[in-house]
Amino acid sequence: MLKRGSKARFILITLLLLSPGLLTFFLLFFYPMMVTLTRSLRPEGEQIGWTLEHYVTFLAEPRAREVILLTFVLSIGAVLCSVLLSIPLGLALRQKLRAHRFYRLTMITPRVVPGLIGALGLLLLFGSRGWVNLFLIRFVPFVNEPISINYTIPGLILFYTWLYFPFIALTTLAALEGLDPAIEEAADVAGANRWQVLRHVVIPLITPAILAGSVLTFMAAFGAFSIPLIAGGNHRPLSVEIYRQIDFTPARWSAASARAMIMAVLQVIFLTIYMRVLRRPIT
Amino acid sequence: MPDYMIELRDVTKRYGDLVANDNVTLQIRRGELMTLLGPSGCGKTTALRCITGHNIPDEGRVFIDGEDVTDVPTYKRELGMVFQSFALFPHMTVFGNVEFPLMIRRMNKAERREWVMDALRMIRMEEYEDHYPRQISGGQQQRVGLARALVYRPKVLLLDEPLSNLDAKLREEMRFEIRDLIDRLGITAVYVTHDQAEALALSDRVAVRNAGHIEQVGMPDEIYDLPQTRFVADFIGLSEFLAGTLSAVHTEERTATVAVDGLEIHVPATPEMAPGRKVLFFIRPNDIELLPASQESGINVFVGVVEKKTYLGDRSDYRVRVSEGLELRVQTDGKVRFEEGENVKVHLPIPHCRVIVE
Ligand SMILES: Nc1ncnc2c1ncn2[C@@H]1O[C@H](COP(=O)(O)OP(=O)(O)O)[C@@H](O)[C@H]1O
Ligand SMILES: [Mg+2]
Repeated sequence: MLKRGSKARFILITLLLLSPGLLTFFLLFFYPMMVTLTRSLRPEGEQIGWTLEHYVTFLAEPRAREVILLTFVLSIGAVLCSVLLSIPLGLALRQKLRAHRFYRLTMITPRVVPGLIGALGLLLLFGSRGWVNLFLIRFVPFVNEPISINYTIPGLILFYTWLYFPFIALTTLAALEGLDPAIEEAADVAGANRWQVLRHVVIPLITPAILAGSVLTFMAAFGAFSIPLIAGGNHRPLSVEIYRQIDFTPARWSAASARAMIMAVLQVIFLTIYMRVLRRPIT
Repeated sequence: MPDYMIELRDVTKRYGDLVANDNVTLQIRRGELMTLLGPSGCGKTTALRCITGHNIPDEGRVFIDGEDVTDVPTYKRELGMVFQSFALFPHMTVFGNVEFPLMIRRMNKAERREWVMDALRMIRMEEYEDHYPRQISGGQQQRVGLARALVYRPKVLLLDEPLSNLDAKLREEMRFEIRDLIDRLGITAVYVTHDQAEALALSDRVAVRNAGHIEQVGMPDEIYDLPQTRFVADFIGLSEFLAGTLSAVHTEERTATVAVDGLEIHVPATPEMAPGRKVLFFIRPNDIELLPASQESGINVFVGVVEKKTYLGDRSDYRVRVSEGLELRVQTDGKVRFEEGENVKVHLPIPHCRVIVE
């Protein structure tokens, strides 16, 4: 029942509808990527010639492996901590306990505070004279002097967790609230205690959602910048490493670009894994 | 002392101001199938959840097999339950679902397999052991639900509207399948439904519920033929209710007459009847006989005019005006037909005439 010429019109309309998206993609993604790629292959400060030296020198440094490893440790650590925290929190919140709306709101505040301010606040809170240490010294036996948290890797993971927890928590909570309560009731009538219901029914059922949320959060954490810049001290993940190249005078744009490309490749690999995770049948 | 498998003793359960179960007492005998029947929202599920332990009664005690389980957690109560939404574990296969209760009980692998396959054979689903719930139909899912509930041979089987999510034809088939299974296993069962046909067809006894309490407990034919309250009569099939006054009791004929809107209707007599008492007379529309106007008069035969006729396929539904203020609803099988405006006679057979003394 297609009218003559309607197919051509259909294609035209489709193109028109797609054009803002295509344009944005080109301007905001494809173009900068190409510029960065080209830059990373030019000798430093030159507009002509091709070289792989920026990749080679960076990857040959023993520091390179450390930087990449640290980037992984921080982002995976943050995701794992967030997941582990979000499950008990989600289980508690879905009971609609008193003031659960307030807790929900509190949960997402780290996303409202600008990263920079958050990082400074955390440094103050966890510093040797911050409230956390004062509390530990005052109330926890055998803690007599401040514990150093700031500028350590565990401390950095803690800060990352603070920043990325809301994403994971929201996913976990949504997954938990999406479960049919009858399924859990079926399990406990069948003889499973609370722990067994959690282990055999609840966790397996929310895992696909948590995995999907985790990979996205991992990718965001992989590129985290303000927290490690301010609160990282000597621990510099890739993002800070890239920034440092630009901070030289004259700025080392090619070296920075090469590192950025390495980071991009690693992220694409993770995106691929993410797609795989999503394609698994989620029941 | 009678041997009850389940006993609710003065159980009250409130949700805020709403009393979902108001001082309910219910005794279920060993090996019987008891149905909780009532309209949606009358607290059937709440009562069932007091048995499973998902609801803790605010007052009263719950006994299973003679033991006070009011404070025993659900997982220790050794029950089997079938849900309206099937509630299969979506991440486990049919086999895994049925195996779950045995796995939790740490039965060894080989024995488990045997028990699961026995249960699957019982519901004719053994070929589907590797399927996931989403790959099988609703009816099949509910059969797996049954197998999962029965596989570990629980003391009691609880079913909460197990057929409500299935289409009409399947519902009727599975009714018999469930009854059959329960008979074969000799298990005690509590069946919750709002469908009176289902309740009458399946049950050994029926508890008819109304807004938080039980109106009447009895065998299906008792509930149907001798409802004790207006609610029960109304809920179990259509009934015509007419307010009247007892005008006479005829001891030797074991009948009484009720004056209803100028008509004298004869009804079976019961001990509590005394002339002058207000009563509620009722009769089911399909128990009334519709006769041609030429028919002789007699006891409980009245003249009327067909006001309206509705054709229902296997039956016809008539509204017959019997007197100025009285219109009766009559349902007949399709054989004898009357037209609107036709003069007819209606016969109310005495055995079908019921009276509730108020
Ligand atoms: N968890 C609950 N919180 C508040 N009210 C509830 C809850 N569960 C049930 N109710 C109310 O209690 C009444 C009885 O519910 P239910 O036992 O589910 O009835 P039925 O199974 O007979 O349809 C209904 O009015 C229902 O709205
Ligand atoms: Mg219900």
